[in-house]
Amino acid sequence: MSQNDTRAYLASARAWLAEQAPAYSGAARRGLSVEEDLALGRRWLHLKSEHGYAAITMPKIYGGGGGTEIEKVIFTNEENNYDLPTGYFGISLGMPVPMLLKYASEEVLRELVPPAIRGEQIWCQLFSEPAAGSDLAALTMRATPDGDGWRLNGQKLWTSWAQYSDWGVVVVRTDPTVPKHAGLTYFYVDMKSPGVEVRVIPKLAGESEINEVFFNDVFVPDAQRMGGVGGGFKVAMETLMIERYAVSDEAVGGISVEKFVDLAMRTRINGQPALADGEVRRLIADTVAERQGLRSIHRRAMAAIAAGTEPGPEGAIRKLLGARRRQQVSAVAMDLLGVDGVIMTEGAQPTEDFTESWIESPPLRIAGGSDEILRNTIAEKVLGLPQDHRPDKGIPFNKLS
Amino acid sequence: MNFDFSADQKELADHARRFLGESCTFDRLRDNMAGEEAYDRSLWQQMVELGWTAINIPEAQGGLGMGSLELCLLSEEVGRVLAPVPFFSTVCLGAHILNQLGQESLREQYLPPIAAGESVVAVALMPGLGQLEYADGCASGALGPVAWLGAADLLISRARDNHGTECLVLIDAKHATVARRNIDGVVLDGLVRHGQAEFSATPARLLASGDEARRLIELALAQAAILTAFEQLGGAQACCEMARDYSLERYTFGRVIGGYQAIKHKLADVQVEIELARSNAYYGAWALATDAAELARAAALARISATEAFTLAAEENLQVHGGIGYTWEANCHFYYQRARLLAINYGNADYWSQQLLAGLQAAH
Repeated sequence: MSQNDTRAYLASARAWLAEQAPAYSGAARRGLSVEEDLALGRRWLHLKSEHGYAAITMPKIYGGGGGTEIEKVIFTNEENNYDLPTGYFGISLGMPVPMLLKYASEEVLRELVPPAIRGEQIWCQLFSEPAAGSDLAALTMRATPDGDGWRLNGQKLWTSWAQYSDWGVVVVRTDPTVPKHAGLTYFYVDMKSPGVEVRVIPKLAGESEINEVFFNDVFVPDAQRMGGVGGGFKVAMETLMIERYAVSDEAVGGISVEKFVDLAMRTRINGQPALADGEVRRLIADTVAERQGLRSIHRRAMAAIAAGTEPGPEGAIRKLLGARRRQQVSAVAMDLLGVDGVIMTEGAQPTEDFTESWIESPPLRIAGGSDEILRNTIAEKVLGLPQDHRPDKGIPFNKLS
Repeated sequence: MNFDFSADQKELADHARRFLGESCTFDRLRDNMAGEEAYDRSLWQQMVELGWTAINIPEAQGGLGMGSLELCLLSEEVGRVLAPVPFFSTVCLGAHILNQLGQESLREQYLPPIAAGESVVAVALMPGLGQLEYADGCASGALGPVAWLGAADLLISRARDNHGTECLVLIDAKHATVARRNIDGVVLDGLVRHGQAEFSATPARLLASGDEARRLIELALAQAAILTAFEQLGGAQACCEMARDYSLERYTFGRVIGGYQAIKHKLADVQVEIELARSNAYYGAWALATDAAELARAAALARISATEAFTLAAEENLQVHGGIGYTWEANCHFYYQRARLLAINYGNADYWSQQLLAGLQAAH
């Protein structure tokens, strides 16, 4: 894509957003219930799909934009300037649908991908369990053969948007007699199947998107298997790899450094503008330097993904650094606000409200590869340091105590 | 912009790394610190023969006519081994400033000796290093501490004329009216010899004054920031590798310490800072090579990240080594001291933060 093409794409995306986005963002969302907001989000996604702006990199025959990674980055950057109801579809179009594109048959793709891209259906990702988070391969949810399919029994946890989902991808244990990584299999499952029960988990604050999902004798046809029997861990890792690189905006969904600079210009420390304080200046400079540094690292990772190669593990540092940075900058913003920081703007997004930005930071450091797991990966894959002590290594899963 | 160096440039860097890896050992650094010579003359001579002092000098003045990208890569390699030679002040700054001058006669006179390795340059650009007054072809005042001032053939310095106008002057550092000495004894990082000097009506060439002087100084400081960032990057990378290697050798509680998360996460953090610093240094290299409008911003970003990375890498390298890391025998101290020296030289982190913020506010 030449510089001119890029500029032209940016210009038309910007113009289109300026015309269309206001009716779906900001004031248009104020006072809406979650259900109403979700409905607005579905309409927004549908509109985008008619103009090639939904699932920009996915093939046109399924309703995608048929565009490039660069176009997606450009559009997403612009779209983030508006406070649009896109969050409900972030996981759906981010991980499960791309995995489907990799593993499902043409017939299945024609049936299931277009409704997902148009926002008519939502997909969730059923990975973590009460006793399997960072150690995903320790999961215990079982799938046992039953005719031309499988019976699923067990519990998943932290499943985002499960309460609104039509479909999910799930990784389960099909063989407990082999070591833990080898006994897993990956399926897609109809969330409306008999025996699926979704319970919302209240969060520390705000509307909750997280759920626990119970499976009681849920039938899944073998045709809905993605990858080989026993090959589920590999497919799960491919999914997580996408997730780790999926952080699409530079403030990780929180307040931008520009908004922080605004705040530092209008608040005071010891009678002086906060911006005159050396520590505040250093924080801003470090934040800007980190953001700039991450740009080309992220672009290299995206280029690798677009070229079909695996990006280096260092590409995931955008998630590692970005989440911590959002938490830190938001906390300092609250320090500058003083007691005013207790007042959160009703319905405000984390991109607008400092306290909101802070309070919703923790899960970003935990989900999709915690800070600690990402550090382990960098230490092992980049620096060549030994793996942690793993007493369960090589032992059949059902022989573990 | 996804900047990367060309294959030829990478080959130059590989060659430099091999050469310096073999010739500039820690034992040689210790010898240098114990010796009388201000810098390692035989190493310098080898660098001259490799053409490193000629690299950014035009062919018409006896140079190789290459650009700042090659300098970036050589700076990284020099930083990796802490080569005790006046490469930064002579080549990265001295030759750069002289090459920017409008008067061809000055370039003709001063660049060929630098290319030939016959002229070592000390440069004093940051405020706070003393003050020179310039009037009627002479400079008076005092400077110091300035790197390599005691050993230099030439000095390029900031000065003020008798109207208070900022100017840039060039002085024969060996002239009889220059009373100079190396700062010896207990100093930070004895591998970079700093000197002090008093000037009494010392003959001086006016290189530029007023706006032109400020333009040259600003450009030289951006160049200094970006090339220092590469030097810091080389040092940080060396520290990280040293700590990694040691953590794979050293046993506690029955296994190598590199297997414990306390060490793994520490070194992962160092590696992450290095990746960021590399990314920003490359951005700086691109801005320098293309004379981009965002040069000042890129310089500040490169410098801020590199200072952060080298500081963390040098401190944690020593920490990973434990007690032995604090001894003269282990080599951690070379980097520990160099990291701090480069953090305070040519603008500390607060200086570059202010530069960056001034740009941000202007854009606001």
